[in-house]
Amino acid sequence: MRKSKLILAAALLPLAACSSVGEGTDLGVYSLVRVKQTNVGNGSVTVLPPRPWNRQRRFFLFDSLRWVEDWTLNGPYLDGITFVTALPSGEYLVRQRRSDERQVPKFRSDMMAPEIAAMLETAFRVRGGAVQFNTLSLQPRQFLGYPGFQYDFEHLDSDELWRKGRAVGAVIDGRLYLILFDATRSHYYGNALPDFEVMANNARMRRS
Amino acid sequence: MCMRCEISRRSLLAGGGALAASMATGIAQARTRPADMVPLIGPGFKPTDEDEKGLWQLMDRAEEEISGSNLLIKDPELVSYLQDIIGRVGGPAAKDMRIYLAHIPDFNAMMFPSGFSVIFTGLLLRMRNEAQLAGVIAHESGHFLRRHMIRSWRDTRRKSDLFAIGAMAAGMGGAAGGVYLGDYVQLAQLGTILSLFAYSRAMEAEADAMGARLIAEAGYPPMEMATVWEQLIGEEEASARYRRKRRRRGTLFDTHPSPTSRMADLRLSAAEVTVAGRAYDNGRARYLSKLAPIRQMLLEDQVKLNDPGGSQYLLNTLAQDGWNGMLRYYEGEVWRLRNRAGDDARAAQSYAVAVAYPDAPAEAWRWHGLSLIKEGRSGEGKAALGRYLQMKPGAPDAPFIRQMVG
Repeated sequence: MRKSKLILAAALLPLAACSSVGEGTDLGVYSLVRVKQTNVGNGSVTVLPPRPWNRQRRFFLFDSLRWVEDWTLNGPYLDGITFVTALPSGEYLVRQRRSDERQVPKFRSDMMAPEIAAMLETAFRVRGGAVQFNTLSLQPRQFLGYPGFQYDFEHLDSDELWRKGRAVGAVIDGRLYLILFDATRSHYYGNALPDFEVMANNARMRRS
Repeated sequence: MCMRCEISRRSLLAGGGALAASMATGIAQARTRPADMVPLIGPGFKPTDEDEKGLWQLMDRAEEEISGSNLLIKDPELVSYLQDIIGRVGGPAAKDMRIYLAHIPDFNAMMFPSGFSVIFTGLLLRMRNEAQLAGVIAHESGHFLRRHMIRSWRDTRRKSDLFAIGAMAAGMGGAAGGVYLGDYVQLAQLGTILSLFAYSRAMEAEADAMGARLIAEAGYPPMEMATVWEQLIGEEEASARYRRKRRRRGTLFDTHPSPTSRMADLRLSAAEVTVAGRAYDNGRARYLSKLAPIRQMLLEDQVKLNDPGGSQYLLNTLAQDGWNGMLRYYEGEVWRLRNRAGDDARAAQSYAVAVAYPDAPAEAWRWHGLSLIKEGRSGEGKAALGRYLQMKPGAPDAPFIRQMVG
């Protein structure tokens, strides 16, 4: 069964375990993110969350996309922030098989903002089960101190819920940096958008 | 119940063994003839047996849930158009059947036991004329008119543990609440409903024969039903081939007689019910005008799923009735989303051709412009983007595009 909420790079197995076992045992799927400077994705970007979030643990056996990291406040069906850090050209946002009928397009370093937006849309349609997808706006916005874009959208998913999202990103030295927020349109979007905005603005590249 | 289930890979795998066995022993199944297909119910049919009454009660509940789903497209004109078609090919039950249109980009249609039918938008995209759509609807009506659901329900009940059926039935009412009928029927609970009424091969053959008869009587060219089937097989194969799941000779799909023999049967039945000298109308012009308001959405839903093999086949099929700006634009989108080496250039060419047609959507100008800029033809690119903004000044991405135009 297709999971109805898009979680980039997420392995299905731990999520299934999470929902069937219930709340008492979290199986270590999530770890706490405290209100302090936190490195995300492959460690090349750091953000300061305004309140505690939950980081979804990455299961390296199933899921070795080190550029992508998922956070949630109230669980992935309700809200989530995905960090994409330094995704190289020719790589994908999600793990997928070549033989999959429907493919999330690969990222290329020469992609312009409208192409990246289209790539995200297809990710939501293919992996998130969105049956209707509306672009609300695409506008210029600085990200990590570089000229980038802000992409706003909403989508009706196969679980009959409307969700709404915002992505802020830029291609820097041929690599994609992106923070993507997606939550149910009623309540949860408005609830966590301020957190997203704080982090989209305080995200910094780390000097290595 | 569902048009495409029969050739889904899953059912192929499940049915392959038995089928291979019957092939080996050389059992040939005789074709069900349209002339033998008499409707088993009349107008205003209501169940009288206790078990069927119970089934209808469950289905009423399911219908209530489905009719309230926000996945449905409720555009009154479109829905009444579909209702008119079922009214023409529904035989004696024409006035009793209800039809719902679900916004799901897959090729599917299904009939529920109490006489309501759910059609997916992906089906509308794939039909080239009204006769093809009527053929699918007539096939579904055939299941209802031949009482296939209650027959298979009784069969299931005989075979299964009573408690298991009770549990399934109890889940059914609620299950319909989250009714997502996505590709290969993804909602687990709805799968349960469908599995209760899995039709036998013989029933599918009956529905085909009944359907051929119904559309012929309504004045549609009966051969269109076979053409639909041919298009469906072609698309599945194109998609599989593209993904290098080429089925070698001797594998299930190649040796599976069902799709091709079903097509052959449909052709024979069509010939049988065609009356020489009678004028048949495939209703293409009417179909295109009724679908015009959602045509772009349907193409968008399909192409953005990035199934390049399937989408290409589909575009080429639709283009058999003539290329236009819309189809060329989406051809470009298929290449652009596929995004392999050289696809940039292919997409750029499609966009360039698309904008030469008067019906090119505004988006074709946008991507034409962006492609030109990528090729280094900045001036021409900006001019094309300007054209896009002129056509769609309030486009959601206008702020970004304006910045690019400078």
